[in-house]
Amino acid sequence: MSDEAHIVKSYEEELQNLNDSLIKMGSLTESQLADSMEAIIKVDKESADKIIANDAKINELRAKIDNQIMTVLVKRAPMAIDLRITISTLKISHDLERIGDLAKSVAKKIKPLPHDLPKELIGSLRRLGDLVQKQLRNVLDAYLNKSKESAITIWKNDEQVDDLTNTAMNEVADFLGKSKKNLELATHLLFVTKNIERAGDHITNIAESLYYLIEGEYLEGARPKGKDIEKN
Amino acid sequence: MVMINNKVKIKTTNLNVYYGDKQALNDVNLEIHSKEVTALIGPSGCGKSTYIRCINRMNDVIDICRVTGSIEIDGNEINKKEIDVVSLREKIGMVFQKPNPFPKSIYDNVSYGPNIHGLAENKVKMDEIVETSLKKAALWNEVKDRLNEPGTSLSGGQQQRLCIARAISVNPEVILMDEPCSALDPIATAKIEELMDELKKSYTIVIVTHSMSQAVRVSQRTGFFHLGKLIEVDTTEKIFKNPNNKMTQDYITGRFG
Ligand SMILES: Nc1ncnc2c1ncn2[C@@H]1O[C@H](COP(=O)(O)OP(=O)(O)OP(=O)(O)O)[C@@H](O)[C@H]1O
Ligand SMILES: [Mg+2]
Repeated sequence: MSDEAHIVKSYEEELQNLNDSLIKMGSLTESQLADSMEAIIKVDKESADKIIANDAKINELRAKIDNQIMTVLVKRAPMAIDLRITISTLKISHDLERIGDLAKSVAKKIKPLPHDLPKELIGSLRRLGDLVQKQLRNVLDAYLNKSKESAITIWKNDEQVDDLTNTAMNEVADFLGKSKKNLELATHLLFVTKNIERAGDHITNIAESLYYLIEGEYLEGARPKGKDIEKN
Repeated sequence: MVMINNKVKIKTTNLNVYYGDKQALNDVNLEIHSKEVTALIGPSGCGKSTYIRCINRMNDVIDICRVTGSIEIDGNEINKKEIDVVSLREKIGMVFQKPNPFPKSIYDNVSYGPNIHGLAENKVKMDEIVETSLKKAALWNEVKDRLNEPGTSLSGGQQQRLCIARAISVNPEVILMDEPCSALDPIATAKIEELMDELKKSYTIVIVTHSMSQAVRVSQRTGFFHLGKLIEVDTTEKIFKNPNNKMTQDYITGRFG
């Protein structure tokens, strides 16, 4: 990192604007994810509509960031830390957009739900949703503070996301086993759970990009995996 | 991936240069690898030109200049009195910031060096040297029908390529370039950069440049100088993505100048 400012003030401003856009996009994504978790658990169909409509704002911000980055690249040919900031911001904004998409997909599943969620399934789903939200909040804070240690912690915590996903999936499978009538709800819930886990994967990507931004090196080793659960 | 060749062509050890009382280089230890392009960067006055002028003993012509320490080329010390600077400069060509063709024809500009060093036994052989040198400098097609016109009648970019042709006509081992593109437009610059890529297959090239992106485009290794000291030298990729030294980073990102 460098504490010094650029000699060229407008360059400094461009990077600051880029940073501001990303923070804005991060907080928007954070509330979309939180709202979608709340809505699925409550089967709140009205809220689902709002979440679906709001996704466009995230996409707009992503497009804005793409443009800001293209401008910085051609105008400044950024080097070293500035290059890493620019490239990492580009990657992080794309991961945020994907998390937004996943929140929207979850919201879309709320509408066809046949009835409220059975109590026995709510616990794990809530825990998974809370954990992924916490991970997103932490990674955005880590970005603000340029904290390498937090990036590593968040990256490692993906294992817990995988474990909770596993538990939630098993519970849904048990629920399905009880009665054929449960098929439709169970299918939707499996999809929702999987989407939350994927949001977690994008958060891990963000932690990786952040680590690269700070250190100029890639986080060593393969991504942590929870108990053998199939990805993608 | 760039191929990194680790054979050291030029090695300076504890190199110090003084202009009168003023010290311009301070204990510079640098290894320049064979058949690679090494870029030297740093703020104005940090000693880049002074450094490359040591390599072909061009500082000898400056009365007040004193050079101490060791300069080895292929392991042979050249910073000593007994060295024949004329044959040293045959091995080590130089291209300057401002194109400086001799006030002679294009042909004579290129044949001048081979003539002095007796590299061609007859006219046919000399024609051949002139042609290949101009071809290597990517200038042949533009001048083959006007070889007898004065070198100064060419455009700036063409003049600079003529100077490169002149430098390579004596078949040197090293080419030193001091901001060779600073007076050129982007097309002429691109041609010279393209040329360097080709030339580095046969020659060791050291280029001083103020353009960070040029250093990235043309070089495999980069050295950063500041106030007469070599602050950091590493692969160009490392220097421009993630330098070790904060001063290097602040310089290349435009945080001080
Ligand atoms: N002939 C000279 N007589 C006295 N001092 C000199 C001479 N040549 C260079 N110097 C001094 O030596 C220092 C290094 O100069 P040098 O020309 O090597 O810098 P540089 O890095 O090439 O700068 P620039 O990027 O401006 O070309 C400067 O302080 C300069 O004033
Ligand atoms: Mg100079």
